[in-house]
Amino acid sequence: MPTLTVNRRSVTVGDDATILEACRVAGVEVPTLCNFDGLEPWGGCRLCVVDMSLRTWDDDWFKMVTACNHPVEEGMTVVTNSDRVVATRGVVLDLLLARCPETPLIQRLAREHGIEETTYQRNPEPTDCILCGLCTRVCDHIGVSAIASVNRGWGREIAPPFNEPPPDCVGCLACAEICPTDHIKFSTSSTVRTIWGREFEMLRDPATGEAVITKAQAEHFAKRSGVPMSYFEMSDRSKRLKTAKTFEELQVVK
Amino acid sequence: MSDQTCVELAKAEEILDRYPHEEPSLIQVLQDVHRAYNYLPCDVLVRVAEALGVPLAKVFSVATFYKAFSLEPQGDTIIKVCMGTACHIRGAGQLVEELERKLGIGPDQTTEDLAFTVKTVNCVGACAMAPVMIVGEKYWGGAKPARMETYLAGGTDDEN
Amino acid sequence: MRIDSAERFAALRAEARQRDESQPRKVLVCCGTGCLATGARGVAEAFAAEVAARGLDVEVNLGVKTTGCHGFCERGPLVVIQPEGLLYTKVKAKRVPEIVDRTIVGGEPIPGLLYKNPANGERVSAYHEVPFYKHQVRVAMRNIGRIDPTDLMDAIAHDAYAGLAKALFEMTPEQVLDEVERSGQRGRGGAGFSTARKWRSCRAAPGERRFMLCNGDEGDPGAFKDRSIMEGDPHSVLEGMIIGAYAIGAHEGFIYVRDEYPLAVVNLELAIAEARRHGLLGESIMGSAFDFDIRISRGGGAFVCGESSALMRSLEGKTGEPRAKYVHSTAKGLFDQPTVLNNVETLAGIGAIIHHGGAWFAAMGTERSKGTKAFSLVGKVKNTGLVELPMGTTLRHIIFDIGGGILNDRPFKAVQTGGPSGGCVPEALLDLPVDYEKLTEAGSMMGSGGMIVMDDRTCMVDVARYFLAFLTEESCGKCVPCREGLKQMLAIYDALVDGRGSDGDIARIERLAAGMQLGSLCELGKSAPNPVLSTLRYFRSEYEAHIADRACPAGICRALTAYEIVPEACDGCHACFKACPTDAIEGTIKELHVIHQDACISCGACFDVCPTQAIRTLPKVELASREVV
Repeated sequence: MPTLTVNRRSVTVGDDATILEACRVAGVEVPTLCNFDGLEPWGGCRLCVVDMSLRTWDDDWFKMVTACNHPVEEGMTVVTNSDRVVATRGVVLDLLLARCPETPLIQRLAREHGIEETTYQRNPEPTDCILCGLCTRVCDHIGVSAIASVNRGWGREIAPPFNEPPPDCVGCLACAEICPTDHIKFSTSSTVRTIWGREFEMLRDPATGEAVITKAQAEHFAKRSGVPMSYFEMSDRSKRLKTAKTFEELQVVK
Repeated sequence: MSDQTCVELAKAEEILDRYPHEEPSLIQVLQDVHRAYNYLPCDVLVRVAEALGVPLAKVFSVATFYKAFSLEPQGDTIIKVCMGTACHIRGAGQLVEELERKLGIGPDQTTEDLAFTVKTVNCVGACAMAPVMIVGEKYWGGAKPARMETYLAGGTDDEN
Repeated sequence: MRIDSAERFAALRAEARQRDESQPRKVLVCCGTGCLATGARGVAEAFAAEVAARGLDVEVNLGVKTTGCHGFCERGPLVVIQPEGLLYTKVKAKRVPEIVDRTIVGGEPIPGLLYKNPANGERVSAYHEVPFYKHQVRVAMRNIGRIDPTDLMDAIAHDAYAGLAKALFEMTPEQVLDEVERSGQRGRGGAGFSTARKWRSCRAAPGERRFMLCNGDEGDPGAFKDRSIMEGDPHSVLEGMIIGAYAIGAHEGFIYVRDEYPLAVVNLELAIAEARRHGLLGESIMGSAFDFDIRISRGGGAFVCGESSALMRSLEGKTGEPRAKYVHSTAKGLFDQPTVLNNVETLAGIGAIIHHGGAWFAAMGTERSKGTKAFSLVGKVKNTGLVELPMGTTLRHIIFDIGGGILNDRPFKAVQTGGPSGGCVPEALLDLPVDYEKLTEAGSMMGSGGMIVMDDRTCMVDVARYFLAFLTEESCGKCVPCREGLKQMLAIYDALVDGRGSDGDIARIERLAAGMQLGSLCELGKSAPNPVLSTLRYFRSEYEAHIADRACPAGICRALTAYEIVPEACDGCHACFKACPTDAIEGTIKELHVIHQDACISCGACFDVCPTQAIRTLPKVELASREVV
């Protein structure tokens, strides 16, 4: 259980904790765009940079690291608001604002750092995609990998293979729900869900008739978990009702 | 995928037979496929994904990340103009311009008759003979725009 | 013959040497990429045919062998005739019968084929007297140009695998580590990390498998020493890897070779197959208890894969995206196992270090940078090619004594070292002794040893822009400062060279550069501002001229530069007329020529060909004001 200081506040955290987790324990807010609890840290957005010094280093020697993926160490000193950290974060937000000038989240974060207008060349084709990689990582995480990054450098984008409806997609919406800027668009009706240009048949709750899950997703889950398909097509409400009924029959609740 | 005609998969199967069917083989397989077909046809990518057990999206990601791969059919003769630093300061840019004038295509483009594809490459490591141009397999050192016709015609070593 | 013991190796080595010495008369034809381009293959075949036709191999015991790159590619095809050590340059196949007649049979040199020293116009007969070679001390490149890279016995005759035999049979892995530590060798790929320390930390790391990797992804534009080593002496790379693997306890190795180096792949593959056949790779190497094998992996064409974590991802079959290295790859590298990644030149030196001892290596070089270093000396210099020198040699010595000075005797302006991560070193620092620290202090880097010499016809703003364009194309795009920062930086430079610069540009460049240096994920992004900052540091006035005067002092940036003919100097030779790609020049032979400004695209083709220096550049704005008058 290493003890470290974050902005002069002492905190003790778990052995496997990251600096970002230690900052949260210390109540110090560090902005991030590409980090999400439960997904492996990625270190792409660079917003969570902090200054860090180890006990064995010279007193005034600090190294700039990303808090999201740097492990903590006993006696570590973390500073989240040094001049150069603030300046670097400012450059990152300035660059993101140039890329995504019309994206509310980026506008807000930039404004919080004193940037109203980008100093750089404004993207002539504004996009909401900040390339944080959350969508592809969550898609990998659930074992689907229907989308991935395409091209490199400035031309990088997130896309399904050949920019066509992705054959591996199950229409689960994880990518769209995790997207911090709501860039990934989808629609769901009582029968059909559309995402990435592909249409998915919806399974409907046998009892209530509401659209619950895509057939492809239910099949994917059923195959991975061994749980029968009929379980997934029930809405949450139906599942709760069923559980309550089971309890009643078993007389668990008196 | 729909706008491309079906390609023969036999060559791809032969290539796949030479490698273990696992993700680390992907780039090596794609290189051999590129050599065999002169580009990466989508049907082959689908087959490679299936055979190696790599999601198609990852295969597409790799195919678009590395510069050695093209998803479009290439010309019969590939012209590479080296844009390394030594070539740059010895006038490689003028070679690209001359090619544009002679063939009517810029970098990463292919002539309509599929005869030539022009590519710029970041240093082929032949800096001592800058500027360098490779036409097919033939390296031309100290290349000059004025001699472009010779290079395109595949001149002999004595002309180098 | 399979080598299954130390004795068997010693016997094989004696046999190889005896074979080599029994044949003093040899024709060595350089078959590196450069010489092949100029027809070396035809020259080698012509020699073989000529010798066979005349039955000469019996008569004078002549051997013809093709070798790796001598590094003097500009003068290729190169032929060296032993035992005299005659160096013939620019040899054409059709002259081979004459060479056989006059030199091999007749025993006399052919003056016209000998190297002509550009400094004094004198012909130099012996290879080792040519200034380009005379000053060199070759360790990593010790056998290049001397041996046939496709002939294992030839390599063994020249000490290949002698270091390995010593390591396997006379030393423990710990002793190998100690010896390498004694040599003080640091990584030749750029960062200069101690080889011994890297090996030690990998050896100490727990893991089920461990890997020994060779980085042959020499991506720095202007550098080609690794290509030359892999092509010309692949066994030195294999030997270094096997010794390294023995020291760290690895049984699997990969060589990651750039896709742009086809000949290197061919020669490495041949060398691996021969080494396996002879028991130098595979199970129970040389009959010892040590197993190790190597596979080649061709890169897909991405500069970023020279970065260690990106290279490892690429070996795993993925896109070459770097990962944060808060956990070192020596502990968690390829497939998350302990991994050592060394540069080609680093590994090529290992066999010699073990064979001759670490102290021998450490006796060369400077206090903190030991041994020798290979450089690719290219650009606007008379003798271009590969040189290997003790660390601490001055830039002046390299450029002027070895390189023979600046092409066409124009003024020296700067030398760019370290590729896109490096910087430009100005004339004032020509006496700088070259080592890791000194180059870093000067705002540049050792990098992989590229040295691109620039003359006064080089615009430093354009050079910085060139590297930005290069890196913008090569950034993987994972992190914001590198992906977006490079794009924005390039946009600023596009405006500068186009005459659209504005007052705040330099400040904007500096702020963005600092953000990229501190904020980027990997070394590509962190070091990307180096060419920018070093040119700003030493050539700030050129930036100011581009912004304030809309002028390019070097006369390179096309949007700012016009060309005109100086009437007094023009002798009407018509060379410019022929060179002009847009027919913008008018004139008949022996009469004054004129450039029509409306058709001129300012490409400078006329300037480069004019034998009387009758073409001058001037800022376009001057031209405009002249028209107003």
